[in-house]
Amino acid sequence: MRLWLIIIASGIVTYLTRASFIVFGDTLALPASAERSLKYVAPAAFAAISIPLVLGGDGFEGFGDDVPRLVAAGAAAAVVVWKKNLPLMLAVGMGLFWLLR
Amino acid sequence: MTDLSFQRDAYLDGIRRIFPLAVPGVPFGFVIGVLIAEEELLPSFTSWMSSSIIFAGSSQLAALTLLADSASAMVVISTVFLINSRHAMYSAALRDRYGHYPLITRFILTYVLIDQQFAVVETAPELEAPSDRYRLWHFFGGGTVLWVMWQVTTALGVVLGGVVDPAWGLNFAVPLLFLGLLMMSLKDRPGVVAAIVGATVAIIGRNFPQGSGLLLAIVLGVLAGGVAETRLEDRT
Repeated sequence: MRLWLIIIASGIVTYLTRASFIVFGDTLALPASAERSLKYVAPAAFAAISIPLVLGGDGFEGFGDDVPRLVAAGAAAAVVVWKKNLPLMLAVGMGLFWLLR
Repeated sequence: MTDLSFQRDAYLDGIRRIFPLAVPGVPFGFVIGVLIAEEELLPSFTSWMSSSIIFAGSSQLAALTLLADSASAMVVISTVFLINSRHAMYSAALRDRYGHYPLITRFILTYVLIDQQFAVVETAPELEAPSDRYRLWHFFGGGTVLWVMWQVTTALGVVLGGVVDPAWGLNFAVPLLFLGLLMMSLKDRPGVVAAIVGATVAIIGRNFPQGSGLLLAIVLGVLAGGVAETRLEDRT
């Protein structure tokens, strides 16, 4: 029962973060300058999530040595910039990662 | 009142665009399922229900790890909140596009507003000026794929257990995916500044209590992007 309650409470707080501005947007005001900066949420968030994992690999198991991981990530990043193609990027990144480690 | 009835092509477009982003989550969901099955102190079914109740991988992982370690309820809930508070930034960024739908519709669509969904609806140029109806069903198409994928892969992990060996490194697909999303989101110099600040703060703050480093990194990254934008405008 305790586990159920904790998971449900966790689900509610998670839902509230997602609902916040879209559902309750009329009552939540942001200063104009903050509003303009929101277009930088995507680069800031995706960098904050990906870069520590790519560099250190903590939080996940079995990443192995640094060199294969960094080479694979660098090549994958280049593929995205060059081709704008996520499936191709994942194939190149994972392929190199497995080849090198 | 605009017509928001089901639109098949929009739904299918949403499914098609989310697909490459959903695939890297498959091994991640599987690994979480395996961890749920292996954790003898917690009943597997209840733990698995976190996939639908919380529906956010990294926070589920953190919560279940803490619970297995007999952490207090407050610690678990506040950890989940901090890890997932980035979604409030997504919600704010998307308010212009989704904030005007009927209340019930907004209640439902925000349930599936996760990282990958944000990436698609934020970066797809096709979504800048479509009809409300198209944008809504496109969103639900992607949300359906992500939700079903997550329930199924975490359940398979629980049931099949150690079929997938973590040593294979399949999980590396997750950081790779986010790295790809990062590269695609870099459109101008303030965006690059936001990314550099976000990454740097996240690295420094990776051991901050309860995952608060991630939120701090995103907030400071966004602010830095805004400051850089103002500076660059002043110069021209």
